Amino acid sequence: MVLRYLIRIILFFSLSCCIPITVIAGEPTERVKAATDKLLSIITDPELKGPEMAKVRDKMIRQTVDDVFDWEAFSQRALATHWGERTSEEKKEFISLFGQLLERTYMDKTRQYSGEKIEFLSEEIEGEYGVIKAKVITASGREIAVDYRVMKEKGDWFIYDVYVEGVSFVNNYRVQFNNIITRSSYEELVRRLKEKVAGE
Amino acid sequence: MKKIDLELSVGIFILAGLACLAFLSVKVAKTEIFGGKGYEIYAMFSDAGGLKEGASVVIAGVKVGHVKNISMVDYKAKVVISLPLDVKLQEDSIAAIKTRGIIGEKFLVITPGGSEKIIEPGGRIRETMPAVDIEELISNYVFGKL
Repeated sequence: MVLRYLIRIILFFSLSCCIPITVIAGEPTERVKAATDKLLSIITDPELKGPEMAKVRDKMIRQTVDDVFDWEAFSQRALATHWGERTSEEKKEFISLFGQLLERTYMDKTRQYSGEKIEFLSEEIEGEYGVIKAKVITASGREIAVDYRVMKEKGDWFIYDVYVEGVSFVNNYRVQFNNIITRSSYEELVRRLKEKVAGE
Repeated sequence: MKKIDLELSVGIFILAGLACLAFLSVKVAKTEIFGGKGYEIYAMFSDAGGLKEGASVVIAGVKVGHVKNISMVDYKAKVVISLPLDVKLQEDSIAAIKTRGIIGEKFLVITPGGSEKIIEPGGRIRETMPAVDIEELISNYVFGKL
């Protein structure tokens, strides 16, 4: 009787080990990795190198980045306490301007690509939020720590902040924007953003 | 009758002295009796960089609270912060450890966020920036980073 009971328990445990466990870890990393791979393939594509292809190439890069970056979250976090005071039109305008500013700032950098590699190290998920740790290895072998902060929205993971060597990208803009708004006004910030986006 | 008056006044004087002493020791040690009039939240840092208990918590350059406790949890620094009830923090606030001057004391700077969600008492500031190690920066600059 006891033996039969024991066998049942053993059978139960050995069977439960066979039930496949759906692996959900790695989903955000896969998404970010896919985007960076795609970005690298666009940047290194010899057919897109020429100046006549610049527009097509920039558009492709922007599209790839837009797929994984949550610009609204970026803008909200960067404007911080001033976000709530804005009307929905102002918010929309700001999201577009901020995106264009970053595009202007970083698009040129993609032209200076010289064989940097990215290695994904770990992923920590806590509910709707996660941190993906990675490192960028330059051609000379220098390592730069990069953390992607991601959050789940409408079933997909989006990047809402990037930390380079422990320094938050959002915080950098948050402090600058707050300084401008406190010293002058929100309108002045928008004016400066427009100037930056339009200026060569 | 006169003797009783004298003893009574000496007694009152001593009691007043003791009360002052108790008040001073509580103030100097920055301890809170009866829990104080604030709430606590915490933040996890990959490097607390020598932040000490009692260090200032600053928003917009104004001291609003202090670091209550620092401990190591899962090889990370858990920093418990005490804040007054009227200081509410949005859930996308960022906490950073900064240094006064180049080699001065460490303190905690919080930049408030834009979220509508507020961090509840006992909650956590998710976004943190670790202390910048000046020595490491200088050595990287002088000797070059491998």
